[in-house]
Amino acid sequence: MTRNQLSLVITLAVVVAGAAVLLPAVTDAQTQSGVPVEYVEDSSGFETPTGSGWTAAQTATFPLSGTGADVPMANDVSIEEVQVEAVRTNERIYLRTSWADPTRDASDGSVRSFADQVAVQLPAAGENQPPIAMGSNETPVNIWSWSSSDGTEEIMAAGPGSSTPFAEQTLRTKHTYADGRWHVVFIRPLDPSGSIASSLNTETPPRTTIPTDTANLDVAFGVWNGSNMEVSGRKSASQWHRLAVGSGPPGYERFLWVIAGVAIVLTTLVTIEGIRRKGGE
Amino acid sequence: MSSHSGENETVDLADGVNHQVAMVMDLNKCIGCQTCTIACKTNWTDSGGREYMYWNNVETKPGAGYPRDWEEKGGGWDEDGEERQPGELPSEEDYGQPWDFNHEEIMYEGSDEPLRPMDDAADWGPNWDEDEGAGEYPNSYYFYLPRICNHCTHPSCVEACPRSALYKREEDGIVLVDQDRCRGYRYCVEGCPYKKVYYNAMKKKSEKCIFCYPRIEGEGPEGEVRGPACAEDCPPQLRMVGYLDDADGPIHKLVNEYEVAVRLHPEYRTEPNVYYIPPFAPPKHTQAGETAEEERIPREYLEELFGPNVHDALDTIERERERVRRGGDSELMELLNSDRSEKYRLEVFNDA
Repeated sequence: MTRNQLSLVITLAVVVAGAAVLLPAVTDAQTQSGVPVEYVEDSSGFETPTGSGWTAAQTATFPLSGTGADVPMANDVSIEEVQVEAVRTNERIYLRTSWADPTRDASDGSVRSFADQVAVQLPAAGENQPPIAMGSNETPVNIWSWSSSDGTEEIMAAGPGSSTPFAEQTLRTKHTYADGRWHVVFIRPLDPSGSIASSLNTETPPRTTIPTDTANLDVAFGVWNGSNMEVSGRKSASQWHRLAVGSGPPGYERFLWVIAGVAIVLTTLVTIEGIRRKGGE
Repeated sequence: MSSHSGENETVDLADGVNHQVAMVMDLNKCIGCQTCTIACKTNWTDSGGREYMYWNNVETKPGAGYPRDWEEKGGGWDEDGEERQPGELPSEEDYGQPWDFNHEEIMYEGSDEPLRPMDDAADWGPNWDEDEGAGEYPNSYYFYLPRICNHCTHPSCVEACPRSALYKREEDGIVLVDQDRCRGYRYCVEGCPYKKVYYNAMKKKSEKCIFCYPRIEGEGPEGEVRGPACAEDCPPQLRMVGYLDDADGPIHKLVNEYEVAVRLHPEYRTEPNVYYIPPFAPPKHTQAGETAEEERIPREYLEELFGPNVHDALDTIERERERVRRGGDSELMELLNSDRSEKYRLEVFNDA
């Protein structure tokens, strides 16, 4: 094998390896309107909105629009899209939302000031796509809410106007505002039942369990811009999307497969070259 | 809407309401002393994010009122009374902010300046335009208008709340905000055309006049049934308190029989249950000081405030007055001049 041939082989191997790593992600983003939730062993890079782990996470971008809810000026909203990344460990899900908002607003104590806010909506018992506006009696929803004034709230709702905070919160959030953009990380146990006091009776409304098998879960997002006086049903909301938990093998496995693939290609090429040389003698 | 028959009148009550509390305020007796305002404030709104609120206020009319220009901020219903009209939220400045004074300079920096508000701090506040009124000398005019929540029969604040946090109490139609349901959206604040629901930014909930319901339930001073503090504490005792559907009470007679007590801005279509005896003023004077025939407070202005029924109300009162002047008897004039003991009829339905 000449030097040129060898470098060609190496280049090919690198291209194959790169494609093996990158292509699934690209095709996922094109064919799936959802949030892939990668498994990670170590959550330390995901605990804050600026954690190092998020740069490698796959970003999903969802368009937002007014909801037409039965409140004045429901469709006069200002936030057009939200970006979402998510990972999970064995215990918790880490979901980061971010959106552009040129003004950092808080409900600062006057009648006309409203807070910036973001919410994540999930079916309470994993049902398929409850009514998008706060679920219904038959198909209640859970809402994870963060507001620049009121902080974190974990809410149950069974239709418009019914949202009620859970007495005991299992949700944590971390937020930053920089360069005209909010980043809010929601952190919650995958199965919250274990972290709630056992004294709660069975009448407690259901709290969404995040599945860890390949079963998907619906998810929707809402964002409020305080300076546009957005509150309650006057919000930018997404449609239902899929929270693709456990989609694809965890990252390190994929990396091992890539190494193996490259090794196989190289071994084959070396073998072929060996046979060719032997035949030529 | 359900109907309760009186002797010869029918009183419309809101659906699901057994009786309806009501108040009649005689504007001819109001001296603008603000005792009602302070009675309310010391009872209900002296702290905890309520400092800026006046569930009861007394404003000078003509004037911008409290909050400033509330009559121009929308809310209420359309002409047919069927579709709610969204309003706008008053600003902090409209309600009036505390002024900063030059305490620092005087107390610590040895300034000889008189104590006064800093710079332009004092440019608006509740009652800023007190006693200004309108008209030219010698025919200027004004009167005082005490205002509380009207505990309306068709309340647009109740309709405005997407969470049904506001409701009319079944037993007496008092409009309340369920503090557990309220999430501070403020649709009720903009939805009330009288701007009598207030946002408490500390509690992040809306709050309003409760018609002193603990007092009318006998939970007030000495465990006795009392009228709302604004009414009981009024020095000229200009307020009558009772039930609109109490056919033998003075309120029913003034509102439904004589029709001399009228609603403020009936065109908002919320059907208030606070009624006003419209104000009389001395007639106009000529430049020479002679009494002229013309009314001092223009009827058009009173009609703007109280609707077209104000004409009949004023004419009826004038007619009855004249009858008494000529030595005749008038039940209406007696009602309007009744003593304190007859002004509060709050226990008539207690056995029901």
